Amino acid sequence: MTTAAPARRSSGRPPPWRDVRVLGWLLQLLVVGVVAAVLAWLYSNYRTNTSSQNLPTDFDFLDQPSGFPIPSSDFRQNQPVREALVEGFKNTLRLALTGIVLATVLGILLGVARLSNNVIVRSAARAFVEFVRNVPLIALILLAALGIVQGVFPSPNASWKVLNLGVFNVRGANVVWYEGANWKFLVAVASSALAGFLVVRWRRAVSDRTGRPARTGLFALPLAAAVLVAVWMVLGLGVTTPVVDGRRVHGGVTMTPAYLAALLALVAYTSSHIAEIVRGSIQAVPRGQGEAADALALSGFQRLWHVILPQALRVGLPPIGNQYLNLSKNSSLAAVISFPELTKITQLTVANRSPSVPAFALLLGIYLVISLALSLVVNLANRRLAIVER
Amino acid sequence: MKRTMIHTLAPLAAAGLLLAAVNAAAGGSAGATPTTAGGDTTTASTAGGSGTTAAGGETTTGSAPASPPTTGAEEGPTGDSLLDEVQARGSVLCGVRDDLAGFSTIDDAGDHVGFDADFCRVIAAAVLGDATAVEFVDVATDARFPALQSGEIDVLVRNTTWTASRDGNDGATFLHPTFYDGQQMMVAADSGYESIDDMDAAIVCVAAGTTTEGNVATEFERRGLTVDVQSFEDIDLVQEAFQAGQCDGWSSDGSQLASRQANYPDGPDSLVIFEDVFSKEPLTPAVIDGDTRWAQAVEWAIYATIQAEEFGITQDSAEADLTSDDPSIVQFLGGENAEGTTLDAGLGLAPDFAFQVVSQVGNYGEIFERNLAEIGITERGLNALWSEGGLQYAPPYR
Repeated sequence: MTTAAPARRSSGRPPPWRDVRVLGWLLQLLVVGVVAAVLAWLYSNYRTNTSSQNLPTDFDFLDQPSGFPIPSSDFRQNQPVREALVEGFKNTLRLALTGIVLATVLGILLGVARLSNNVIVRSAARAFVEFVRNVPLIALILLAALGIVQGVFPSPNASWKVLNLGVFNVRGANVVWYEGANWKFLVAVASSALAGFLVVRWRRAVSDRTGRPARTGLFALPLAAAVLVAVWMVLGLGVTTPVVDGRRVHGGVTMTPAYLAALLALVAYTSSHIAEIVRGSIQAVPRGQGEAADALALSGFQRLWHVILPQALRVGLPPIGNQYLNLSKNSSLAAVISFPELTKITQLTVANRSPSVPAFALLLGIYLVISLALSLVVNLANRRLAIVER
Repeated sequence: MKRTMIHTLAPLAAAGLLLAAVNAAAGGSAGATPTTAGGDTTTASTAGGSGTTAAGGETTTGSAPASPPTTGAEEGPTGDSLLDEVQARGSVLCGVRDDLAGFSTIDDAGDHVGFDADFCRVIAAAVLGDATAVEFVDVATDARFPALQSGEIDVLVRNTTWTASRDGNDGATFLHPTFYDGQQMMVAADSGYESIDDMDAAIVCVAAGTTTEGNVATEFERRGLTVDVQSFEDIDLVQEAFQAGQCDGWSSDGSQLASRQANYPDGPDSLVIFEDVFSKEPLTPAVIDGDTRWAQAVEWAIYATIQAEEFGITQDSAEADLTSDDPSIVQFLGGENAEGTTLDAGLGLAPDFAFQVVSQVGNYGEIFERNLAEIGITERGLNALWSEGGLQYAPPYR
């Protein structure tokens, strides 16, 4: 009797309406069906509404004249929407990439400062990070635009000047910049970086062979600088510095008030997040590592640079990469202060007769591409840095 | 590898769903109106066709559209007009703004006041017989046409310039211009600029999402000058930027500049508006495309104010003019003629709609002076009656 019961139970499968596997499949099919039905309903609603109002649903609007000029560019209103979006894309990239570089530098400095032994440095960094990290970014952007750039910066005839390198006033900033073709500048920077990289490799090899200190910085930096200057001269690149002329500033690269404000807010916000990641990653490095560095009598900088940061970076890189993605997406918030980046341009084209659904679908697609490209780069870097386990 | 693919795709799908849901929330409330309006566009255009042929014989038959059963199913679908919906609802949803002195602002009591707001009241008086039956909806510049299309508003009376592409592409039908405006340039009095020709390489600030930006660029190009047009979310932000010294010039419609100049913190004398008018800006109420009956009702409500001024009927005299010696005035106001009948033009409006408009809101000149004199627009200019050298002209009411 005790053997018969289990035998009966295992002999046949239960009827379909009690079979967990069948029910599971049915449930999944049901969910998929409901989702598909809702989507189809929404889409048909959209088609009905657009056709009843004679609104286009295709992408022909890209070839229509945009109807608006773009601030601080050569773009004019008779150029097509397509080219307006390209301008917006450039502005988004410019804001996002500059923001990423500056936020990384400031974020690492702040993160290290959070762990400083100096009370003032430590508390100041903490106060900044905790304040900026815990307020909405859009409020920061509005504060930067209306409060700081419009409210604190001086009028043009009383511009702040940083040597001959930068001029700041209520109309934005002009900063020293290269003069000449972009590719020449890229070639100069790339060849300088390559020279530095080769020297570093050479010094490492020497150090490994002989056991003497590598002193990579001492060798690489001057050489990279020399290569930069040499290539700069050979290619005929120039330098343009800002000069104040009455109400205007000539020369240098111009940053509009909106760009400056957006950059300020994005860098402050993202760097405060990066600072927390850096602090956390440094604290994640086992205490023994620092003590070992101390036991080897490394200086404070050497301890950080050669022992702590390389290990912390491995922990911190993925979340920092996330912050890069956030920054590039958050750059769309600059639309509220009318910085002509992608979102603002799309808003403008929609206000100027582009159909909204295709236009915003395209906008989302572009942001998706930017984000996926960025995360690809971060993943590649992460793969290189990850500890190879054997 | 496959697993990571799924992981990256899942949030994507979620985002898509969310987007669709948001769309539904925005379009869902509208869903009811546009879908029925969808059936309407085709029928309305045929009905409009039969309407125009009927209009010829209408004066004799009198109240033809009031008794649709004669044509039965043919006329039936016109019942889907916004006109019926508005009359059933008992209020007009009027899209306006809340930040433009003289045209539409909110007073201390929380009511919308101004030239545009008064035209909303004109429409309500004509359609519902009650000038207070207006629900004002403040719409942003770039949301105004979507608001019209989605049925969030019945009519847009919001300083909107009538252009061909807005007429064609934005699904809006423009009616009679209530205000003929033109774009101008304002600078600080101490800027040293005497005219636009002095403003080479100037920074000109404008409100975004309007025809203004393009006009500035075109005008400077035409004069062989360069310009940096900076755009801002709304006109308040333009003013803040201008006050902070971020702009050399401020360009907008002349009426807006006059309104801003009159209320400028440093006093009106600290600003100068140049004479040059470099664009045509007919500010025109608009309704959704494909609803002829509603469009006609709104259009004739506007004409009533112009016709009243031409007849010399004012808010105070309207009552007395009902028994005027001039039969065309009596007919216009909806009074009985010698035969004891009133004219029903078949617009779907009460016979005395013009009387309601004038007695409750006033004639065109009264509306103009009441709202625009205080912001410094005293000259009628193009907005004078046609008989006084302006462009305001109403077709005959008969």
